[in-house]
Amino acid sequence: MTLCNECAPILVNEEAGCNIWLMTVRAPEIAATAAPGQFVHVKIPGMDDHILRRPLGVYAADAEAGTVDMMYQVLGFGTDRMTALVPGADAVELIGPIGRGWEVPAGCKRALVVAGGVGSAPLYPLVQSLAADGVAVDAILGASTIDALVARERYGAVLGCEPACSTDDGTFGRAGFCTPLVEEALAAAEAAGKPYDYVACCGPEPLMKLVAAMAAEAGVFCEVSLERRMACGVGACLSCVVDTVDGKRRACVDGPVFPATEVVW
Amino acid sequence: MQRSPKETSVKLAVDLGGLAMKNPVTTASGTFGAGREYHDFVDVATLGAVTTKGVSLNGWEGNASPRIAETASGMLNSIGLQNPGVAHLKEVELPWLSSIGATAMVNVSGHSFDEYVAVIEALEEAPVAAYEVNISCPNVDAGGMTMGCHVPSVEKVVSLCRAATKRPLIVKLTPNVTDITEIAKAAEAAGADGISLINTLLGMAIDARTRTPLLARVVGGFSGPAVKPVALRMVWQVAQAVSVPVLGMGGISTGTDAVEFMLAGATAVAVGTANFVNPTATVDVIDGIIDYCEEQGVADVNELIGALTC
Repeated sequence: MTLCNECAPILVNEEAGCNIWLMTVRAPEIAATAAPGQFVHVKIPGMDDHILRRPLGVYAADAEAGTVDMMYQVLGFGTDRMTALVPGADAVELIGPIGRGWEVPAGCKRALVVAGGVGSAPLYPLVQSLAADGVAVDAILGASTIDALVARERYGAVLGCEPACSTDDGTFGRAGFCTPLVEEALAAAEAAGKPYDYVACCGPEPLMKLVAAMAAEAGVFCEVSLERRMACGVGACLSCVVDTVDGKRRACVDGPVFPATEVVW
Repeated sequence: MQRSPKETSVKLAVDLGGLAMKNPVTTASGTFGAGREYHDFVDVATLGAVTTKGVSLNGWEGNASPRIAETASGMLNSIGLQNPGVAHLKEVELPWLSSIGATAMVNVSGHSFDEYVAVIEALEEAPVAAYEVNISCPNVDAGGMTMGCHVPSVEKVVSLCRAATKRPLIVKLTPNVTDITEIAKAAEAAGADGISLINTLLGMAIDARTRTPLLARVVGGFSGPAVKPVALRMVWQVAQAVSVPVLGMGGISTGTDAVEFMLAGATAVAVGTANFVNPTATVDVIDGIIDYCEEQGVADVNELIGALTC
């Protein structure tokens, strides 16, 4: 896969809720080739004293429109600066599409997708692709509060039904973490004689670790998408390594998606 | 789209202690892999040389994560010379560089004197144009900077490497010393064909809220635009202290930055951290040197070396 460094004019940049923002940019080369689970490495203009790029998962890639959506949570200087960028006036620079995305097992018939917080972004193209392939998909979205469930409507539109949701504060769906929903979904599928053959999870690392353990317990193949501090984003600098059963591997190009059984948690 | 330097009538070739470079720009080891990672962005065969990631004999796992932290106009890293070992470089990366016509300079690392020699011996039949002996990495417990701060160790490791090869031998120095010229002179006396500097400055960063260091190893190497004044000063000092050529680096991200290093006495320059920001930084720097020469009426880039007026 060829990488490109694309200057991407900003079309949309707005708060979707709860300090989580949605940015749509025009990046036709990346939009045409991005696979579900891949990410872009974003150079944010106007912050020359903060030199590094920021890695962001591709939330949606529209090849026809030539656009890429990114979801970001305002966490530090870079993401804060991103909120000040003006659609129609500013542009970001994107290296992409980067990395090993979701690799759905051949013959997959039923998949469970588990997203915590902004982890819903890199899982959304997977849900689109699974649905298009006729795979039965169940989705579980966990967030801190109702306003942080920013991907709920998009998921609902693709799934044709409301995804199962949980909020830490009980303002929507099940109160508490989303892990009980995962446990119940795995058990219900098993009980119905239609077990899942794929679990995909992205979110806080403790959540991914728990979901990986539940999937392993249920005997279902599971992939997780990991995040690390990253410099180059192309596999050269070895900043973003993840401990795996095969030693230290790069989150950027060997991942970000790894089979959960390969990760040393 | 893969970039190459622009056409020019300016003579760009330089001789770095026997290493023939088609232009004065190489990569700082550890920032460019072995070139392949950046070949989608720049034709790495058009660079003066590709300096590969530090390689040890049997491969090292490197340090725990987090390994980097962003700081004002720069960054810290503590990768710890993670590498798969010299056999992988020899069997996979060097043949690839050779197949596309790139000039390869191999950065050689070791935990002991013997390991440096063993790495060079393992590569003597491989397509390598020059060696860069890394006695300056701040992120390993043995070898690296511990060797580069101590004159007798510098003399010993450089002499042993010198005896192991007839190829151009560049010695990469750490700035974390009291007198860089003393170390440079020791390397020259022991047989170095050139001196490269600077490796990263030892630094640290703290998260006040959690009261913890930002790097797992607590301290790491500081690089990026912020270090350029220190690097320029040291290149200028070393260029006056030794008669072998100098490969200058430290915060170079534009052609003007590169020209400043050459004026300070560098024969060639390396682009490092800038690659992370801008994947075409190497070619942009070459183009910038060309622009400067064309604007200033410089016919041969060699005219710039040490042309600083004080």
